[in-house]
Amino acid sequence: MTLGGTLRATTTFVILVLLHYTLRPLLGWRAPMDFLVLALLLVSIRLRPATAALVGLAIGLVSDSLTPDSLGAGAVAMTIVGYVASWLKAVFFADNLALNAFFFFLGKWVFDVIYFVVEGRLGGIELVQQLLLWSPLSAAATAVAGILLLFIMRPLLEPARA
Amino acid sequence: MARAVRSTSSRFDLIALGTCALLALIARGLPPNLRDPVATSMRRTFLAPLVMLQERAEASRRSLLLDQQRTAITDSVALRAMTVSSLEDENAKLRRLIGLGGRLKWGFIPAEAIHGRGVRDVTTMTLTAGSAAGVRRLSPVVAPEGVVGMVTDVDPTMSQAMIWTHPDFRVSAMSEDGAAFGIVQAHLASATTGYLMELRGIPFRTALKPGTLILSSGLGGVWPRGIPIGRVLEEVKTSEGWARTYLLRPAVSPADVGAVMILRADRISQGFDNVWTNVAAVDSAARAIAAAGDSLAKTAALAEAAARRAAIEAVSRDTSHATSGIPGGLPPELLPDTSLQEAAPLSDSAIEARRRAAARKARRDSLARDSAERDTLVMSPTRGIIR
Repeated sequence: MTLGGTLRATTTFVILVLLHYTLRPLLGWRAPMDFLVLALLLVSIRLRPATAALVGLAIGLVSDSLTPDSLGAGAVAMTIVGYVASWLKAVFFADNLALNAFFFFLGKWVFDVIYFVVEGRLGGIELVQQLLLWSPLSAAATAVAGILLLFIMRPLLEPARA
Repeated sequence: MARAVRSTSSRFDLIALGTCALLALIARGLPPNLRDPVATSMRRTFLAPLVMLQERAEASRRSLLLDQQRTAITDSVALRAMTVSSLEDENAKLRRLIGLGGRLKWGFIPAEAIHGRGVRDVTTMTLTAGSAAGVRRLSPVVAPEGVVGMVTDVDPTMSQAMIWTHPDFRVSAMSEDGAAFGIVQAHLASATTGYLMELRGIPFRTALKPGTLILSSGLGGVWPRGIPIGRVLEEVKTSEGWARTYLLRPAVSPADVGAVMILRADRISQGFDNVWTNVAAVDSAARAIAAAGDSLAKTAALAEAAARRAAIEAVSRDTSHATSGIPGGLPPELLPDTSLQEAAPLSDSAIEARRRAAARKARRDSLARDSAERDTLVMSPTRGIIR
């Protein structure tokens, strides 16, 4: 990746992290959009799997530090999601909005599944309800937000053409 | 060669994934006493700006929600405040009606008036009581304020009443003192002045002052005696030379008629002399009591002020006597300001207060002298009685 590409990816990443800690709590939805997962996915497709896993671990630990009871659960989930996203980038990141939306949706849902299973706080009906109702809703909101951001930040995400 | 490089690379990726996952799981498995310091140190160092951002965002959201709640509360309070005055009016009307029922004691049928058409042209109304409740044709309909109308048609459950605004409505009337008798009917020429009444047929030699209360006279057999109809506004100039016509302000406004009472025939025969007149008497008595209370309070306040002034004067006199013993006396700024009291003439109550104070002082002195003499007698038993 070129220096310009690295800078653009970093800027996008920072913007998404800031959105996660400002817009998300401001909206306060029951099924919130996850800008950290979006940031991880958008960065992972530009990195090799090992680096993506490392970035996932870092983002996961950062997000877990605000919920000390589940410290590590987000890190595990982010690590796996980052690695898999980087590994599957050739499959999913075609120039197709529907595929991108599905990629975002799947990334957030897989993250939630791993997170809630590793966290172990929910169980039984609550876990099923969370994974089959609220997580898909949250994943859908994340996918919609991701598509909107792709539109808005296209100049940042696309490499400059000569 | 390329396959070998790819294989090495993917092995490295897998090792990195395993390491990262292991580290994450180790973090997950940390005991709480180790987990909390790690999380806290992260929040306090490089995560502090993000934590601050999140706190502010949540605070903004809370304030937004609170503002919405506050707006909703304000709106609901404003909405309730809009209905308060109408509820108060309705309460006052119902209280008056209950008071009338208490004074009538028996022989009446309470009913609700249903207005069928617009407010400006009300001449009839439907009542929610019919023959099953004892309502008969030509039964008088009254309100706590006075005459409303008369029943014209009766159904088993409902009845129709003609309000006094109807062109055919008549009631025999008299002035409050019984000096003048006439017939009251609606004043039909009052399209712009609202609902008014006319008192016709008053003898020319009898003049009524504005504000005179007009009551039903009981003549004619339909309306009992003593029900308020209205108050005289002014005389209406007519071409009739033998009688006067007066404009009346009605006791009951047709638009305000809600709950009414229909009088039964057996109750009418008993008379209503003290039912409506008591209301006016009670009102005037209440006003008189309030005025008397105010007057007494004013008098008491004046007397108290005079007594206080007299006491201040006495103190100032004592002070001046005492300071006269001091060489040079007190400086002028420490002396009480009595110039105004000395310059102002004393009121009767102040003089009376002074006189009473002097009498009390003299009585105290004489008692003290008597007591001193008794003490002297008691304290000198061995020396005999010495006066």
